Amino acid sequence: MGIRGGQGIHLRQRVARRAVALLVLGAIGCGADTPPLSPSGFIGAEVIDPRPVPDVTLTDQDGNPFPLRERTAGRVALIFFGYTNCPDICPVHLANLAAVLDKMDDDVRRNVSVIFVTTDPARDTIPRLGEWVHQFDPTFVGLTGPDSLITQAELGMRVAPSIRDSTADGGYQVGHAAQVIAVTRDGLARVQYPFGTRQRDWAHDLPRLIAFGD
Amino acid sequence: MTSAVQWWCAATGLPWSWAWQWYPGVHLFLIVMALGWWRLGRRQHWSRRPWVPFLAGWVTLLVAIDWPLGKLGAGYLATAHTIQFLLLTLIVGPMMLRSIPIEGWERLAPAGSTLRRFLCFMARALPGLILFNLIVVTTHFPRIVDGAMGSQLGSFLIDGSWLLAGMILWWPIVAPPAFRRLRMFGKMGYIFGATIVPTIPAMMMVFSTWPLYELYELAPRVDVRLSANTDIQLAGLVMKVLGDIPLWIATAVIFFTESGEPAKESSHVA
Repeated sequence: MGIRGGQGIHLRQRVARRAVALLVLGAIGCGADTPPLSPSGFIGAEVIDPRPVPDVTLTDQDGNPFPLRERTAGRVALIFFGYTNCPDICPVHLANLAAVLDKMDDDVRRNVSVIFVTTDPARDTIPRLGEWVHQFDPTFVGLTGPDSLITQAELGMRVAPSIRDSTADGGYQVGHAAQVIAVTRDGLARVQYPFGTRQRDWAHDLPRLIAFGD
Repeated sequence: MTSAVQWWCAATGLPWSWAWQWYPGVHLFLIVMALGWWRLGRRQHWSRRPWVPFLAGWVTLLVAIDWPLGKLGAGYLATAHTIQFLLLTLIVGPMMLRSIPIEGWERLAPAGSTLRRFLCFMARALPGLILFNLIVVTTHFPRIVDGAMGSQLGSFLIDGSWLLAGMILWWPIVAPPAFRRLRMFGKMGYIFGATIVPTIPAMMMVFSTWPLYELYELAPRVDVRLSANTDIQLAGLVMKVLGDIPLWIATAVIFFTESGEPAKESSHVA
């Protein structure tokens, strides 16, 4: 049976209203997944047997000695091994951390250090390192040192040591661990954040990392 | 760094490079479209070929889906993705409709045919608005964008749906008079209606606390000075501001060109 006159108009209005409501609801209710949490409530992967930060002294972006264990004690440190010529993972990790910290309370910012350890000390000179990390956030720390010390730091943080791969143009790229390691205030490297960790995941975990052990 | 040839631009996760890349599917699509238009004109013996709209649409399509914009939009910058959306829906769609002359539409969909009835139905405001907005909102869902752009087929479907959305949006405006197109105020109201729903994804991009799209948040940076957050916010602004301007211009053009000719319009109605 056909629908005519006022009845047809009402039906069309109902259909239109429902379509608009669906569009709005769909647009609002999108993309709000919460990933599964670790036993301590982190989105990051919790290490079963956390170890202390290795006791190595590297050099920071100002050329000053940086004793890693001592300088990370009592605060949350997010340590990442990478290199400034990295075309993909390193800039994304650092940019996302900078963006998240920018939106967090001062309380969180004050208690978190982001430490970037170069895996390419030959090309990442001290001025280059400083310029590169500070373009993301002026509080970020860039560290360098002899290959042997960097490897010691990597092994101490339980990440695979970096390796150099030659490229066709005669240069090289550096294969390095892609995860950020979070050290809690007790000095233990407790949580790992693989590449793919989103800003909202960091925003969820940073206050929990600071509060851990209270 | 090199990658295997892709037939359509899709996200690869590889670092951005300005080295030219060939996308065979994109070029095949463009060639098929040009040949199709040429053959249609010959078969139907058009008295004149609308070269200008066809070339404008075809070149804009090339710009929108080929390297570099296609590659940037598929896997690196939300802003580039939004520019693709605007080009396909606001330029390519209407230009492709205009590239077939009125006599061509008459022969494609003769009076009384099913296609004619369908095109007449689509020349009304409500079907156009609902379908256009449905496509716009669906293709901007984070899950759909993040899920589709990593595959060539998904990326092709998104681009194709935007081209279709452009034709759906503009059909009630540019359809030949015999297809019962809207009158002047109907067109103006219709265009205004088309600006409302896209505001939702645009504003979500601008005001979301965290980046809306995982794809663009974690994409290799084209330039580290342009953060993912800024890029996605810029994309939202581009979608709203640059997206609305052509629609307002179209409204003004309709008002100034059609306000004096209501009688002529009504005489064309079948």
